[in-house]
Amino acid sequence: MKQTLLAGAGVLALSAGMSAAEQLTVFGPWLGPDQANVEQVLADFAAKSGHDVRYVGSDAFEQQIMVDAEAGSAPNIAVFPQPGLAADMASRGFLTPLKAGTGDWIRDNYAAGQSWVDLGTYADKDGNDQLYGFFYKVDVKSLVWYVPENFEDAGYDVPTTMEELKALTDQIVADGETPWCIGLGSGGATGWPATDWVEDMLLRTQSPDIYDKWVTNELSFTDAAIVGAIEEFGAFARNDAYVAGGAGAVASTDFRDSPKGMFDSPPQCYMHRQASFIPAFFPEGTVVGEDADFFYFPAYEGKDLGTPVLGAGTLWAITNENQAAHDLIAYLQEPAAHEIWMGLQGFLTPHKGVDTSKFSDPTLKKMNDILLGATTFRFDGSDLMPGGVGAGSFWTGMVDYAGGKDAAAVAQEIQDSWDALK
Amino acid sequence: MSNIAGSRSSLTWAVHLSVLALVLLWLFPTVGLFVSSFRTADQIATSGWWASLGSAKQNVVFRAADPDDNRVAEGDIFVVEGNLFEEAGRTGTIGVWGTSSRAIDAYVAGETAEMKGTEQITVAADGAYRWTGSGEEIAGRGQRVFATITSPPEFTLENYDSMLLDPSNSEGMAKAFFNTLTVTIPATIIPIVIAAFAAYALAWMQFPGRALLIALVVGLLVVPLQLALIPLLKLHLGIGIGKGYLGVWLAHTGFGLPLAIYLLRNYMVGLPKDIIENAKVDGASDFLIFTRIILPLSFPALASFAIFQFLWTWNDLLVAKVFLIDATGQTTVMTNRITELLGTRGGNWEILATAAFVSIAVPLVVFFALQRYLVRGLLAGSVK
Amino acid sequence: MNAALLGLITVVIGVGGCLGYFYFSNLFLDRVLFPPKGPNAGRNINRANQIRPWLFLAPAVFALGLYLGYPVLETLRLSLTDRSQDGAFVGLANYNQMLSEPKFWEAMGNNMLWLIVVPAGSTAFGLLAAQLTDRISWGSLAKSLIFMPMAISFVGASVIFKLIYDTRPEDKEQIGILNALWLKFDGGIGSALFLKALPGLILLSFAALTGYVAWLILRRTGASAWLWLGKAISGVFAAWMILMALRATFNIFTAQLPYGDPQTWLTLPFYNNFFLMVVLIWIQTGFAMVILSAALRGIPEETVEAAIVDGANPLQVFFRIKVPQIMSTIVVVWTTITLVVLKVFDIVFAMTNGQWQTQVLANYMFDKLFRANDWGVGSAAAIVIMLLVSPILVWNVYNARKEMR
Repeated sequence: MKQTLLAGAGVLALSAGMSAAEQLTVFGPWLGPDQANVEQVLADFAAKSGHDVRYVGSDAFEQQIMVDAEAGSAPNIAVFPQPGLAADMASRGFLTPLKAGTGDWIRDNYAAGQSWVDLGTYADKDGNDQLYGFFYKVDVKSLVWYVPENFEDAGYDVPTTMEELKALTDQIVADGETPWCIGLGSGGATGWPATDWVEDMLLRTQSPDIYDKWVTNELSFTDAAIVGAIEEFGAFARNDAYVAGGAGAVASTDFRDSPKGMFDSPPQCYMHRQASFIPAFFPEGTVVGEDADFFYFPAYEGKDLGTPVLGAGTLWAITNENQAAHDLIAYLQEPAAHEIWMGLQGFLTPHKGVDTSKFSDPTLKKMNDILLGATTFRFDGSDLMPGGVGAGSFWTGMVDYAGGKDAAAVAQEIQDSWDALK
Repeated sequence: MSNIAGSRSSLTWAVHLSVLALVLLWLFPTVGLFVSSFRTADQIATSGWWASLGSAKQNVVFRAADPDDNRVAEGDIFVVEGNLFEEAGRTGTIGVWGTSSRAIDAYVAGETAEMKGTEQITVAADGAYRWTGSGEEIAGRGQRVFATITSPPEFTLENYDSMLLDPSNSEGMAKAFFNTLTVTIPATIIPIVIAAFAAYALAWMQFPGRALLIALVVGLLVVPLQLALIPLLKLHLGIGIGKGYLGVWLAHTGFGLPLAIYLLRNYMVGLPKDIIENAKVDGASDFLIFTRIILPLSFPALASFAIFQFLWTWNDLLVAKVFLIDATGQTTVMTNRITELLGTRGGNWEILATAAFVSIAVPLVVFFALQRYLVRGLLAGSVK
Repeated sequence: MNAALLGLITVVIGVGGCLGYFYFSNLFLDRVLFPPKGPNAGRNINRANQIRPWLFLAPAVFALGLYLGYPVLETLRLSLTDRSQDGAFVGLANYNQMLSEPKFWEAMGNNMLWLIVVPAGSTAFGLLAAQLTDRISWGSLAKSLIFMPMAISFVGASVIFKLIYDTRPEDKEQIGILNALWLKFDGGIGSALFLKALPGLILLSFAALTGYVAWLILRRTGASAWLWLGKAISGVFAAWMILMALRATFNIFTAQLPYGDPQTWLTLPFYNNFFLMVVLIWIQTGFAMVILSAALRGIPEETVEAAIVDGANPLQVFFRIKVPQIMSTIVVVWTTITLVVLKVFDIVFAMTNGQWQTQVLANYMFDKLFRANDWGVGSAAAIVIMLLVSPILVWNVYNARKEMR
């Protein structure tokens, strides 16, 4: 309780405007619609605190933040999509630990608080674990998007097990249609959507424990379990009949374009597996819940692994300390900071104290239910791996795999690059 | 030389044709982008730009008006009437259509589709529709109509409008434009001044180590830029320049100097020796000779390098990203804006084409206006 | 507007500062330090003239040293150290690691391909365009249109070519011109003509041209050891290139082409390299053309007229008379484009980011530096680029020295 009081006091000091106004720069990966959303949140913070807040987004966030930190010109706050990258930077001494008490606040106020603390805690330069990252805005990744009216036209039902999903896939092929739209293209980050697939498949074929060992490389990439998961992904993506445009188009189709195939006339495909943020890239005017909907990417009924959910989130860390940066982290603990974005698009939060009626549409609530119904929740593994693997060789390896390379050979190459980093 | 082949008319003919083919081949990519930037998103997605003058055939999903607000009772049935094209804000003619995503060409325009129960819908070629059925059937969402339409060629300035004049975008674009100018102009002029003096010294002054210096300049021409980025950014931050205009000017100056010195020296060496020696005999100092004689005579080479450096700094992304663009976002440049658009609007060709064309417009104008200087200076640099 | 004003002020201050430096330092030298009058006038003039070149050179030397010289040395140092061990000296460990990575060898192989195809393509097209446009009335217009891509940024060029290479699913209208053309071929006689005979012919003429150039080089007489070395290297190199071209020709004629399927051009391993190279050739041909055109004009009329009087046909005139006379310019163009190729980064970065086996060294280096964060290996890759460039560097320096004498 004492910690909550402390945090409360911080918020109080903040709203009373006791801290002198400073300039605060926030650097993150969001551009376009998400940039407008985060700017609304930051504008509210600026209005409340009196600080001069500026947000800059970049599609080459991973590279740019490294160059800037290396050279000492880092922004005050960096918003990391990948904890792995943040861990790298913490170990080089580029991050400032969050104020004492933040960890306790997270434990008390976030659902599964301890896991969020663990995900934000890294070893510093001297090897001591400290809390560096504050999670704000999470995504659920284990979702399959579809157009309900198209399912209706064809008489398909939403599958509830992986077996049913595979049967549906074959059914659609038998009907002379194409079941899936898969696109891995993402400019310099091409390949990442495939890593999500592999992680989801791993959680559906192996125990979470194997997943955790894989993420820390206790279990080699070349292990049969991992290669098996890669091949499970291949069963979908490397089958010409399963994917729109044929297997050859998978790697080169932009992930932002690929869901559009579901809305074509006639439909290019019927299903699209992607995280909760993807509606931002649906054709203009698409209403989620009516024109498009989603279901949980189901687990194998026969494997008894429960209902695993893969998720991710953005982690806010201080890369250039000033009072305003600490104020912002304190502000993000207020329910209001979450509710602003909840009223916009594509925002989920583990904060227990928010008013869930503030979600802009009921589908977001449905996603939260998936989050809550999970028997296993795992963070996106590639985001936890060192940058050179999770944002490098794993991506490029999956592109090679989608292009026809052997799964074992790809796994070996990724493992080699990981060994090289040790 | 034209008189040599002049007598062979058939050959001349072949030459004209092959030059035409070559020119078309080279223009083709740019023209494609240019034409695309004037087309609507729909048109780009459904037909190649080379077919933009013909009418395009495309498959579209329409939705009848919301029944809850628009239905009218006619006896014991309910009716929704309207026009698909007007409601969707498009133009065209409907050929075939359907009510299910599985059979999008089930009916010809004018026919009536029988659906479940008593529900019916009739769609005419001009988009007018009449949707009838019982109270339960005409409820919920508007009926989907999958139509194959033929739309006339359509060109629009909307893309440029939303790129340059849209309030949410234009401020950023205008800022980026002026920022780019702020980077470009000093980064073009400063290296010229420094290089001109150095080039004169290397061309017309005698001193030990001259050959070595020339060799060094030639050697530095080949240094890949990427490897200089981090050491230099560290240096800038170390001496307090930080990220900003000063840093990017200095960086462009440093990276542009080898070419500048190389081009200018080669040009100056070729200037007539007598003039310089006469001036020296008359007692003019090197400084005077340089400013009064060499500089005016070297104008073509100076202009040529200026154009080179201008194009290079205008088109640059990497140096700007590393040395200029900081976390405040106040110092973005055109190329950076474009790549950001590329990142967020990956598949929207109308946005990409327009953005790319906006970014290459200024260099193209400069290029065509000053081309002869560019050529003259280039020649000085490489032809002996 | 504020920024524009700031820019203007800087131009004035910066340029004024530079000019002021040159003017006042000269003034100081002439008036104060070594005035050319009084008892030591003669000695002073000499001394001033010894110092003056360095006054002229100082800012340039300083900037060159700081912005290019220092990074080169720093990179060399980084390539021999390991940052994760606090910059400890690790000898050639980074190089060893790099050499064991398949991606590095892929980049090397691709770079070699780029080094051959792009300069050859640009020079050949440039020469063709220069020769053809020289004799027609609207030649200068044609030239400026071919030269135009020079002004287009790599970012812009990648958008342009992405539109060309765009792929749509089979049942939709193609909006990329290449796929639209490709789908016109059905494996009939037209396909054989355009997709087999034509590229085969181009490759064969490339082989023939290489052989011809090699013959020209080998024919040169002289006894110096350097010449022999040059001959040996170019002989081996030419033989290798001819072999490659012949093999490629054979492959083209035997290949089964997937007619009727839209292709995702940028993901076809090996061939996608060529689709990327086309972008650079498109940009660089104008440059080659402009320079070669001037060289062609510099050829004395008499030599050409004499050949015509002797009954040579236009082709013979071109290859026997003109090309040998502008050979030195061709070499300059070739090496200049080679330099551009070695530094090629933006095109690959923007279009494929080195995926689908299109990695090149400069992008590999960028990847290592900024994504894998491995400065040691990244710097080692940079040094490899430097090493590849060094023959050109030596050749340039050699020429520059020859010129001085």
